[in-house]
Amino acid sequence: MSGLFTANVENRGLILDPRTKLALMITLVIFALGGTGSEIKAIRYAVVVLSLLPIILLTTAKQYKKAALFGIIYTVLKLAEVFLVPTLTDAALSLLGVCCLIFVRLMPGLIMGAYTLSSTTVSEFIAAMHKMHIPQQITIPMSVMFRFFPTVLEEFSSINTAMKMRDIRIGGKHAGKLLEYRLIPLMVCSVNIGSELSAAALTRGLGTTVKRTNICKIGFHVQDIVILLSLLIVYILLILGKVGAVI
Amino acid sequence: MKGKDLINIGIFSAIYFVIVFIVAMLGMIPIFLPLLAVIVPILGGIPFMLFLTRVKKFGMIWIMSVIMGVLMLLTGMSWPPLAVSIVSGLIAELIYKSGDYKSASKAVITSGVFSLWIAGNYLPLFFAAEKYWESRQNFGQDYIDTVTKLMPMWMCPVMFVVAFVCGIIGGLLGKALLKKHFEKAGIA
Repeated sequence: MSGLFTANVENRGLILDPRTKLALMITLVIFALGGTGSEIKAIRYAVVVLSLLPIILLTTAKQYKKAALFGIIYTVLKLAEVFLVPTLTDAALSLLGVCCLIFVRLMPGLIMGAYTLSSTTVSEFIAAMHKMHIPQQITIPMSVMFRFFPTVLEEFSSINTAMKMRDIRIGGKHAGKLLEYRLIPLMVCSVNIGSELSAAALTRGLGTTVKRTNICKIGFHVQDIVILLSLLIVYILLILGKVGAVI
Repeated sequence: MKGKDLINIGIFSAIYFVIVFIVAMLGMIPIFLPLLAVIVPILGGIPFMLFLTRVKKFGMIWIMSVIMGVLMLLTGMSWPPLAVSIVSGLIAELIYKSGDYKSASKAVITSGVFSLWIAGNYLPLFFAAEKYWESRQNFGQDYIDTVTKLMPMWMCPVMFVVAFVCGIIGGLLGKALLKKHFEKAGIA
């Protein structure tokens, strides 16, 4: 599970600027989740294409299993939304229909989130935040946080194993202590690791007021421009649809 | 605010978010989706109360709240949680500040207000809903009625109240656990 938060640098294939990923994410949540312009037919088709984009990106990053899983779920949901939901009635409609409608909107953003987390290194992320002029008060906690996720998850799985041995698990003898005996040790060791980490970070000059440099090179390449242009097309379609030029 | 405070924010945000993330996995089962506003504040209250013992300067709670909003944006929950977290974080900060950053009862209220951002996650589902149905008139009025009945508008404020109350419960739980475990160990 710790693989969720750490970027696999060797295998990520197409390298995108973090800002491109952010733009794609925002566009996805505006159109897919927010349903902006869903009265325009062209936008509805464009959203399907947009939603498939993160799955393609996952494939280029050689995460075939994840891509296939998300791809199948999204396709099934989308097909169900288009063909199955209109034929349903009452009870079946309320259960199946609503689940389907909610998740078909949530999925594209979630897939993009999974891709962003697994393909961006902390350095790149910080460099991008810096270029966007986000203040240090936000970037430092966020970089510490991303650095810390794998540690927390690793500690959590070790604590989990230890507690299972003591039969503190679902269906075990001491199921009542399930949460307390996991969260408390997790916090105690996180706090300890945290104070070591802050000592390490201070020696790297994280607390100083001078301008920090970053060796990580980020910038817009061909693949970024292609994606950004395709995003632009969707916005143009929206404007054209609003004035009535396309249906 | 110094580097060490910012690092503390990062560490506790990580613990908090891991809890959010694990619980959100449950949200993949549709029935659990509304329950996120219950489970997350209660469990998150425990690390949050420990975090509050570290808060001594203005802005720490606010920054953590904003970070939660940004993370929600990054993981595809749209912008409303960020908008809510900016406001609720500031209010939480001011409440805890009014107790000089040590009042235990104010800490519990802070935990409740801080939890409001979780309810912000549901906003797009409510507000975009109408627009969504408009584009699907051809499905028939019956259909629209059935679905809107399941996600009525009044559920929206209820979600915020639920998140607040559960945040308070989480705060109380966190306070009890702090007393039981951390004060003895000298961490809190």
